[in-house]
Amino acid sequence: MIVRTDHVVGGIFVVFGFLILGLSGDLPVGTLSFPGAGLMPKLLAGLLVLFGLALALHARRSEPLANLSWQDLPHAVQVAAITALAVAFYQSLGFALSMGLLLFALTFAVERRHPVSAAAFSAAVVALTYLLFTVALKTPVEQGPFGF
Amino acid sequence: MESLLLGFSVALQPDVLWYAFLGCLVGTVVGVLPGIGPLSGISILLPATFGLDTTKSVVMLAGIYYGSQYGGSTTSILMRIPGEASSVMTCIDGYAMAQKGRAGAALCIAAVGSWIAGTFGVVMLTLIAPPLAEFALRFGPPEYAALLVLGLILLAYMSSTSLVRTLVMACVGLLLGTIGIDNMTGHFRYSFDIAELGDGIGIVPVAVGLFGLGEILSTPSATVVRDVIAPRLRELLPNREEWRQSAMPIARGSVLGFLIGLTPGSAHIISSFLSYAVERRLSKHPEEFGRGAVAGVAGPESANNAASTGAFVPMLALGLPTGPITAVLLAALMIHGVSPGPTLVNEHPDVFWGFVASMYVGNLMLLALNLPLVGIFVNVLRVPYTYLYPLVVMFCIIGVYEVSHSVVDVWIMLIMGVVGYGLRKFGLDPAPLVLGLVISPILEMSLRQSLIMSNGNWTIFFQRPIALTLLVAAAAMLGLAVLSVQRERKDWRRRLAEAEASDSA
Repeated sequence: MIVRTDHVVGGIFVVFGFLILGLSGDLPVGTLSFPGAGLMPKLLAGLLVLFGLALALHARRSEPLANLSWQDLPHAVQVAAITALAVAFYQSLGFALSMGLLLFALTFAVERRHPVSAAAFSAAVVALTYLLFTVALKTPVEQGPFGF
Repeated sequence: MESLLLGFSVALQPDVLWYAFLGCLVGTVVGVLPGIGPLSGISILLPATFGLDTTKSVVMLAGIYYGSQYGGSTTSILMRIPGEASSVMTCIDGYAMAQKGRAGAALCIAAVGSWIAGTFGVVMLTLIAPPLAEFALRFGPPEYAALLVLGLILLAYMSSTSLVRTLVMACVGLLLGTIGIDNMTGHFRYSFDIAELGDGIGIVPVAVGLFGLGEILSTPSATVVRDVIAPRLRELLPNREEWRQSAMPIARGSVLGFLIGLTPGSAHIISSFLSYAVERRLSKHPEEFGRGAVAGVAGPESANNAASTGAFVPMLALGLPTGPITAVLLAALMIHGVSPGPTLVNEHPDVFWGFVASMYVGNLMLLALNLPLVGIFVNVLRVPYTYLYPLVVMFCIIGVYEVSHSVVDVWIMLIMGVVGYGLRKFGLDPAPLVLGLVISPILEMSLRQSLIMSNGNWTIFFQRPIALTLLVAAAAMLGLAVLSVQRERKDWRRRLAEAEASDSA
């Protein structure tokens, strides 16, 4: 049997639907005259399972999983990982440091730009954005240990 | 008329004009740049409007939306890269015209068509929205529940992917919308002891993640190659024959686009596809399509602009978003303490009419911006993507964080970015998910209130004429969709895609 994309997608939604049903165990469905907090989520989880099954059962129309190209995955993983690090340190390092490091990491480490141009780009963009938000838009950004 | 004059008195104030101009300018840049859609642009700039009053902030954000429709045509015509999803069809004949040395004419036709369609849309919005809002005052919970069900079914019917795929994405969105404290019973739902989740998941982190970060994760910088055809200013005017060929497609695109804009879904995208198909069908020379047909630029460009204006009718009159962009605009109104819906016209006439009037002015601004300054906008495209996308990632983070100063929201945005990457990989449309998330609280509340007020009698939906009509329409739509699936009949979208594939081959 050829595994197709809709087999995978349908399967994921079926599992997700059952997961929601499992997590909704303590939510009361209530009665028709007074529906509880669990009615809507359980109804939707049931529909999700149903639609997931429908997708998987009609998967022959979708393309084989093996045909999917994953060439963009390494780039996506790098960008997502660097962004995650920046988010993790955003509040402790503040806007200027965390975003400066994010920009530098993306341009230098991921895009292989010259370190000097990457650093200049990062510093300039962070400075301009800082001024834009704090001075022009009067919207304070997160302060770091050095007060900016 | 008096109300519209009030609107103009608001819209023509220098500071409101300035923010309308700023919105149009940013929107054009957002439209020009591939990879940054209007949704990301609006979401990222949402926090920047917190210091403004409601009218200025909505005028600016709406300017970004319809400005992006104008800007999207520039990259389509000059580079064969759609700056915005709704400009995909313009790539085909717009770029072909550019290769024939008629880039300026194509840009001019696109801009003039967009202006005519945009203005037509605003005139219709002026005429339709107030009476529709008055009619909607008769709506109770059963009518709202039925209307939302119809909206979801219509979304699935009009979707470019399959019915089941759209419904499954809408279900996920509706489920995400149930996260947080249940307003009626106080139960915590799926908040996993994270205090920030008690208020539910915001639209902005989900929208920015799915459409902003998700797009960047799906676009490796190595694949972005830019070859720009720069038009000269003196080549901008089309000749008499090109004007003649564009007149009727602009008129048809305007009407078609506005009507489709009223329906849920990615109306501005669907309308441009449909307009292209209609123009090719009606053309005496269909063989010219794909080789630089003027109608292939004029029709779709007019349609997507009219549709983006049409989408404001249900948003302003009913308080219902027809897509993720209007959902974020609704969120912007709510952040400023204005409840969109039937009462908006009466309770905040300055906001409503000021917004409508600003669209007349904004469309004129865009015409003035897009023609003479096209050379400057083209230069924006010369910024290497390797420097551009880190900038967008940074603005995604700041934009989401500044909404509620919550790092949890930024994590949600990042997770949604990864989800968005996965959805694109498997050909799933993220728009129904965002729409589901937005309407989930209203749908659940309307459904439960209807059952409570009828003491558990679910036939309440069939006893009220408006609700019954809406449900019958939804059932008919669903029946049609199921029938077409069963017969495996090919619809216009697939036929069009196949025709394009065979043309390019």
